[in-house]
Amino acid sequence: MKIRKILALTLALTALSAIALAEFDASKTISVVSREEGSGTRGAFVELTGVLVDDVDNTYLEASISNSTNLVLTTVAGNDAAVGYASLSSVLHNDTVKALKVEGVEASTENILDGSYKIARPFNVVTNGESENPLVVDFLSFILSQEGQAVVADDGLVSGATAETPGYQAAALSGSLTVGGSTSVAPVMEILAEAYMALNPDVLVEVQSTGSSAGVTGALDGTYDIGMASRELKDSEVEKGALGIVIGTDGIAVVVNLANPLDDITIQQVHQVFTGEVTTWAELNQ
Amino acid sequence: MRGLFLASACVCILAVGVICFFLIANGLPFFRQSSLIDFISGTQWAPLRNIFGILPMIVGSFVITLGALLLGAPIGVLTAIMMTRFASNKAVRLMKPAVALLAGIPSVVYGFFGLMLLVPFTRNTLGGDGLSIFVASVLLAIMILPTIIQTSEAAIRAVPESYYEGSLALGATHEASVFRAVVPSARSGILSGIVLGLGRAIGETTAVLMVAGNQARLPSGILQGVRTLTVNVLLEMGYAADLHRESLIATGLVLFVLVMAVNFLFSFINRRRVLQ
Repeated sequence: MKIRKILALTLALTALSAIALAEFDASKTISVVSREEGSGTRGAFVELTGVLVDDVDNTYLEASISNSTNLVLTTVAGNDAAVGYASLSSVLHNDTVKALKVEGVEASTENILDGSYKIARPFNVVTNGESENPLVVDFLSFILSQEGQAVVADDGLVSGATAETPGYQAAALSGSLTVGGSTSVAPVMEILAEAYMALNPDVLVEVQSTGSSAGVTGALDGTYDIGMASRELKDSEVEKGALGIVIGTDGIAVVVNLANPLDDITIQQVHQVFTGEVTTWAELNQ
Repeated sequence: MRGLFLASACVCILAVGVICFFLIANGLPFFRQSSLIDFISGTQWAPLRNIFGILPMIVGSFVITLGALLLGAPIGVLTAIMMTRFASNKAVRLMKPAVALLAGIPSVVYGFFGLMLLVPFTRNTLGGDGLSIFVASVLLAIMILPTIIQTSEAAIRAVPESYYEGSLALGATHEASVFRAVVPSARSGILSGIVLGLGRAIGETTAVLMVAGNQARLPSGILQGVRTLTVNVLLEMGYAADLHRESLIATGLVLFVLVMAVNFLFSFINRRRVLQ
């Protein structure tokens, strides 16, 4: 009898908590999810939203740090009260999180192209000066060709291709390339690599995701043949010889959990959330 | 044959020697430019502005490892005692492979398990963000269980049966004989198992990265997130340059010194007991 009573009570509590959990609790503290300092996404995001002031990154100290685009999305998808930022091209392929509209503008490639969606940054491929490796030169020319830019546009980036962009001719090269850097650029780079390897069967292109700053450092010290960065190159990097070529423009989406009723956010609010000025969801809506 | 054994031992010593040398040679130059005291006691970590204070990370590593040991060591040792002295053969046949399987699971899978199950559970029942010291400690406790169990088990099995039989002959019960005669004799092996577990816990990076929140500041409760020394190195090594890179190697040096200190402490405590 006692066990039955305990069981019944437990079931009732579980049912109640399930109902309680089903509703979004606006008094919850906002769980801010950020990227590590070397992330290109973070670098671009803090600059474009004003969280970066006079070279000082004022990101909320209580923000948890995830070290890749995918980890940010997984963390936000698993926590009702979470908010984070990630590459738009990755978010478009991921329906476990919701991308907020910024200042009423939806995060989409069309809106980046016409400038109404403000949070956008270039995807750069980085080499140590002009590369003399014929394989690097050929792969880069593929990325910038009609075929390469079609892949880029397909993946959710804004491509800079025009009618004058040349087509690509496979040159029957052989060898291997290591491309490393931004976790935001890596997905589209992997698709580009696959397409390139289909046209050049004797070439092996390997893509590694280690972060934008790691990509630039790697390109400069020879660890990678080509580096990837999801932000503009810094002056100090250009001084050391880094050469960046823009392969597309990507938006940064502000993402929240699917259970969050919020749909629209202003840049001011984004700034308040990510610097820790506002700490609960209820405060934000005022 | 002896030559082969000698060569293997030399490779081992050489490996430790090279790592020591690398850490000291590349980490010490950092202390020529920044003071050791400021480094270890500084509470702000802002490497891009040349502020290097790793106290939050030292506290993070310490607290998470302590939590893991407080949870994992008693469970591990008691499981080992149960498996060797109290369990039936059928139960042992089930438990041994289970423990071995636990040992073989990769860290990233543990991290994923923590992120998908432990973090939401903590968030919903205990409050806070979920990404916390508590979850990291629980996860690490599970990860170090196989290490502690297997070493403790071997140590307990190594105790001569005569100790147990003698104790029974003197009239003690089965439980008393195990806990008062067998286990104390296996003490040094059990302690070394715990130290191995501590070493694993303090060095764990991937799993902790996914569940601990990684905030570079001093925590104020076990439901808050924290960054450990190892995660700090992982997050920044890829892009660190010059002084920043040296500071990370210096962090590795601090970690190395900490682990060596713990090892010496334990062997010192052990040696005194053995002499008695």
